[in-house]
Amino acid sequence: MTTLLQVQNITKKFGGLTANNDISFEVKENEILSVIGPNGAGKSTLFKMISSFLPTSSGQVLLNGERISNLKPHIVARKGVVRTFQETTIFKSMTVRESVIVAQHLRAKASLAGYFWGTSAAHRDVEDFGSYADELIAFLGMSAIADEQASNLPQGNLRALGIAIGLATDPKVLLLDEPFAGMNHDETMTMVDLVRKVRDERGVTVLLVEHDMPAVMKISDRIVVLNFGEMIAEGTPREIQNDKKVIEAYLGSADDEIGI
Amino acid sequence: MEQILANGIYLGSQYAMIALGLTLIFALMNVLNFAHGQMYVLGGFVTYTFYGQLGFPFVVALFLACATLFVLGALIEKFLFGPVIRRSSREESTMLLAAGLAFFFDAVILLVFGEKQRGVPKIVDGVFNWDFRLIMPYDRILICVLAIFSIVGFILFMQYSKTGRALRALAQDRTAAQLMGVNVDRYSMIGFALGAMLAGLVGGLLVTITGVNLGMGGPTSIKAFMMVMIGGAGVISGAIAGGIILGFLEAIGLAVLSQYGDITYLLIFVSLMIFLAFRPQGLMGKPWG
Amino acid sequence: MLKLSKTQWIGLAVFLGAVFVAVPMTIAAFGRTDLFFTLTSVGLLAIASAGVWLTFYIGRINIGQGAFALLGAYVSAILVTKAGMSFWLSLPIAGLFAAFVAVLIGLPILRLRGVYFAMITLVLTQVFTLTALALPITNGAKGITSIPLPGELSLFGITLIPDFATLGNPRVAFYYTTAALMVLTFAAMYRLVNSRLGHLCRSMQQNEELASSIGVNISYIRIIVFAISSFFGGIGGAMFGSIAQSVYPSSFQVADSVNFMLNCFLGGLGYVFGPMLGTLVLYFGWDLLFEFGKYQLLIYSSLLIILMLVLPNGLLSMKIPGLSPKARSGPEVAGKKEEPGQ
Repeated sequence: MTTLLQVQNITKKFGGLTANNDISFEVKENEILSVIGPNGAGKSTLFKMISSFLPTSSGQVLLNGERISNLKPHIVARKGVVRTFQETTIFKSMTVRESVIVAQHLRAKASLAGYFWGTSAAHRDVEDFGSYADELIAFLGMSAIADEQASNLPQGNLRALGIAIGLATDPKVLLLDEPFAGMNHDETMTMVDLVRKVRDERGVTVLLVEHDMPAVMKISDRIVVLNFGEMIAEGTPREIQNDKKVIEAYLGSADDEIGI
Repeated sequence: MEQILANGIYLGSQYAMIALGLTLIFALMNVLNFAHGQMYVLGGFVTYTFYGQLGFPFVVALFLACATLFVLGALIEKFLFGPVIRRSSREESTMLLAAGLAFFFDAVILLVFGEKQRGVPKIVDGVFNWDFRLIMPYDRILICVLAIFSIVGFILFMQYSKTGRALRALAQDRTAAQLMGVNVDRYSMIGFALGAMLAGLVGGLLVTITGVNLGMGGPTSIKAFMMVMIGGAGVISGAIAGGIILGFLEAIGLAVLSQYGDITYLLIFVSLMIFLAFRPQGLMGKPWG
Repeated sequence: MLKLSKTQWIGLAVFLGAVFVAVPMTIAAFGRTDLFFTLTSVGLLAIASAGVWLTFYIGRINIGQGAFALLGAYVSAILVTKAGMSFWLSLPIAGLFAAFVAVLIGLPILRLRGVYFAMITLVLTQVFTLTALALPITNGAKGITSIPLPGELSLFGITLIPDFATLGNPRVAFYYTTAALMVLTFAAMYRLVNSRLGHLCRSMQQNEELASSIGVNISYIRIIVFAISSFFGGIGGAMFGSIAQSVYPSSFQVADSVNFMLNCFLGGLGYVFGPMLGTLVLYFGWDLLFEFGKYQLLIYSSLLIILMLVLPNGLLSMKIPGLSPKARSGPEVAGKKEEPGQ
């Protein structure tokens, strides 16, 4: 498998505090890679740097050899790396379908002025957006709630909506921000299946940050473990399970358990 | 040079107090009080009525101005802002309400006091003159000292009194304050009343020097907005810094640029925009700043 | 290419019929030609308010439209009086110049959100007034007066618009011109809001972070929208100057900026045509209260306050959940500073 995304020596300092120290790993094409770690390990800082929502202090992120760190979020999205958010970040007063349609911004072929004047390219786009939205919504099993307003949806559906919005941009890499947080076992397993389906059938590479160990073990091809801003291990779920440093890190923090 | 410095301190101390009231209300309720300038004018007119018209001692008149605005602020919070905040999800609603209030106060002031410029007798006579390098009337010096004392008093009050601590807790995190047992409704009301009182106090102080008229309200609000933006909204230290900075900029501008006409504010605004481009949160606008 | 339902077509026809036929005929029948001027004012204020509404649509409270109206009025007045340009050419130039200035000013200030943007735009209005007082070209407090009425507009020798000075009642001509401009403005607004740009604006209004994560260049769209908004302001202002045949620094002030905002709120932020309704109601409401003489402002402001108490979400009680402060805050610009502290 070829390397798609490279994280090279990323460091982030907030004042005197080091949130991430010299982190390097690679994401291969079409794999699911998870970044895990106890609370405060620097997962979400790393996540924001990969999606350019935060600048790095040093180091860089490359997509197919091209730097994508320290840019604007929308440019990173254009290059094919799209992040999702946790459930509160949605288009509240849009329906699921409207959200997925608006999220196809990057697929537009007509210009903004073209839409204003109603050129034929714009009309083709509008039709294409509609049918692609329906296809995506069906793919994610959300057809029944396609016309529900986002603010009325329960938490589980909001996560799926987040993924739908991300997928609508036709990304190469989808970055998922704690997709299983706050979910019970059944919901987590449904989400695991959904993420796998996205990877398998849409050919999207997935990088996720999460602290739910069992789910991560089940879903990931490979895992990167952070602790106190340092990368302490990298490997397959089996390797990580038996890694001494990882076990120590998790035993050291009382509120998370490895639970395999 | 000394003159500019003195003028800057004088203006800055007044401005800081105006900004303090505005930022307090903003911090507590996320309300941008458009009527702040009108409250300042009201304070001036109350002082004018009691001191200038009815012959009360200045201190008594000033106290009455504070009391009037305090009560007015409390009522406005209880019967207007409180209910609207509870029932509307949009911050624009309170902005509209505040704009309505500004019009309302203008109307009341127009009906009760008229459009004319009003002045009061000087509280102290004489001019301090140091070799013509620094000339300042004694009443200005007195007002400036009073303003500085008020600011210090306000800071001490916010730091050490029970009410002040509750207000700070409320400003930092409304929900957390509520969980900690702070009576949110009561302290919102007190905070708004205090903010209004500060505006009234400055109005009462300044009426002895600049007089007061109907048209001062709007421009005063605008200056207060600028100070708050310079310092960072909702931050006490930011309001003081913003007030002093604007005071000095104005003092310098009036001294240096007077031959070019009235371009001081134009320059201040352009600088403010450039400044905000780099620091949109203002000088001290960060959480718990 | 417009796709309208049958009811919408009927509504449009009724509206156009009313504006261009029924209203002028009624006015003529009752001999109240002064109403032409009132309605022209409403139309122009509605055009400027439409711009304010558009900035609301990207989640910004704009209290700076008075500045751009003033700018437009001066640009047109200066071009007509000093350069002898035709008013009809100066009108689009005034709009474009306002848009250009909006781009320059918007680059720094559009990063601000919520009350911060509201405050700075309010200050902007005041600064434009001060600028007009200070600059030599605007003639200070004396303003620019005796601006000639719009001349003839002809294309290939065919007169499209006659010289206003030769007309018996130029007010009627101004009414029709304004009505046409207003219809154009709102047609463009409707089209814009229902096209992709409008959808992107809506996504930004609801969540700028998420919008940028799906590849929307939010700063670019903000600038475009602010420029369009100010273009409308410039056009409205320029027309006003031409009707009044004079421009003063006090022609558009802070109170006007606030009123533009009020028009939008009152009409409802959820409807493209809200600003038109809001302007009509507020303007006529104010005019009707004229009967009360010195109590006019008192009653007007009391009504506004009561309205906010009874209908805190606007005249049409349009609720836009996405406009709540929570949805608008984000670490990129505003998030932390919305949190007060000391």
